[in-house]
Amino acid sequence: MRFMLFSGRTIRQGNAVESKLSPEYRDATSVLSMTPFDMMEAGLDEGDAVLVSGPGGQVVLTVKADEHLPAGHVFLPYGPYANHLTPTETHATGMPDYKAIPVEVEPAEGKPVTVWELMRDLGGVPHAP
Amino acid sequence: MLLKDVVCPYCACLCDDLDVTVEGNRVTGVDNACDLGAHKFQAGNRLPGPVRPTEKGWDRVSREEAIGFTVDMLLSADRPLIYGWSTTSVEAQSLGIHIAEEIGGVVDATTSVCHGPSILAIQEVGHPGCTLGQVKNRADVVIYWGCNPIEAHPRHLSRYTMYSDGFFLENAFKERTLIVADIRPTESANVADEFVHLKRGGDYAVLSALRAIVRGKTGSIPSHVAGVSRAQLLRIGEVCKNAKYGAFFFGMGLTQTVGKYKNIRNAIELVDELNRHTKWTLTPMRGHFNVYGFNEVCTWVTGYPYAVDFSRGMAFYNPGETTAVDILARKECDACLVVASDPAAHFPRAAVEHLAEIPVVQIDPVVNATTAFCDLQIPVAVTGIDAEGTAYRMDGVPIRAKKILDLGYPADSEILREVYQQIRDRKKVREVKPV
Repeated sequence: MRFMLFSGRTIRQGNAVESKLSPEYRDATSVLSMTPFDMMEAGLDEGDAVLVSGPGGQVVLTVKADEHLPAGHVFLPYGPYANHLTPTETHATGMPDYKAIPVEVEPAEGKPVTVWELMRDLGGVPHAP
Repeated sequence: MLLKDVVCPYCACLCDDLDVTVEGNRVTGVDNACDLGAHKFQAGNRLPGPVRPTEKGWDRVSREEAIGFTVDMLLSADRPLIYGWSTTSVEAQSLGIHIAEEIGGVVDATTSVCHGPSILAIQEVGHPGCTLGQVKNRADVVIYWGCNPIEAHPRHLSRYTMYSDGFFLENAFKERTLIVADIRPTESANVADEFVHLKRGGDYAVLSALRAIVRGKTGSIPSHVAGVSRAQLLRIGEVCKNAKYGAFFFGMGLTQTVGKYKNIRNAIELVDELNRHTKWTLTPMRGHFNVYGFNEVCTWVTGYPYAVDFSRGMAFYNPGETTAVDILARKECDACLVVASDPAAHFPRAAVEHLAEIPVVQIDPVVNATTAFCDLQIPVAVTGIDAEGTAYRMDGVPIRAKKILDLGYPADSEILREVYQQIRDRKKVREVKPV
């Protein structure tokens, strides 16, 4: 199913932002909010894994219900999971479309990978003390 | 030991009334801070010293080697990018801009993915700004548009707006009217007197409708504008016109959505219209600690607020071309110095991919997502915790942050000063060599 994704701040994401490699940060930034009706249409239950594909790439997230969202819209906190989907186009402003990302959401297996695994996927070398 | 009036190093509210308890060179208590600020004081995850990746893992290197490596990288690059700056002091920011000028590089800040579009709008139509003190003492109508201060700036309402009594407002909660405009009912919307529930991408149209209403052109307003009823628009228009003093705050719900800087231009022009009736001001809800400081310093030094390219031997500014995301997405830069930010976590995937292909040095206190792309990371003190320095609040008021701990880390400005000095020394050698 197609949705419009917008990303934004949450207090949980903000609390964990100084420790981006922690499970708390992963849990705070890899949860996709959807309306209960859209979840029902997509055959999803709270906590299910979904594969989200956007113009920037694909990422596996878990889903949770948020009855306050507009229908057809999904929300993801700021962070590397959202940015795996975000395109680089800035329309000559320097600012990507963090709040208007067309995505495809489908049921999936597994759970969100760690931030290090996301970075490794992009060619990074995780730090090990 | 109890330290009074400590400045919070988290967001651009720069709350300067924190009580911090320090015992044995460790923070053991934080009072008056919000949850976000308290977490920052107690965060760990610090690197013990400069590190670089090798085939066997991550090795420690000395400070001298680290600075030498950074200087080599910057001097040997054809198109270096220097990026970050939002969580450090203006002293460090000034040095970073001077380094970029010395090496003919591009210097950009997190502004470009935060309130960069706000600056573009302000450059077109001006900034009807004020200090937060004016808002606290005078504003009887407050608008939060496309922002959610309860989650992003948790003390904004209690220090400056709804829950803060002021000189002309003895009972602020009763005397102020709060209007929140957003595409979903947020926590902030729940405490508003009036919630304007917009359709996504409808900000420009609703702002235009309000401008028309304030001008008296009510007949041209259709029954609904981007999901907002005509009746509500007319009601809000009257509330705004009848305000003694209005304060319009906005966030990335305007800067990062469709229309970008044109939305902010329209908001400024609405404030302009309202100023024909009464007094209104507009303030961006800037996010990071000192993201505004970079714009101030960069403007003093170069004439431009961010995204400055020195490759022509002069300052050149063209957001969309000289901004960090665009440069990385075009795979244009061949080295990157990251200071006090984490682009790998906050830039689109395709922009981050280029960081894996070029040498990267990061000057930052903690291990973060960008560490994975570093050829070297130099840990430094956190400005406002174990380093002092000046930062600019979201309304442009400079505030001096204290050093409350001594953990033995250098300030970013110390490292950058050494890098700058070595670059200048080495360039002098190059210049005299042919003679």
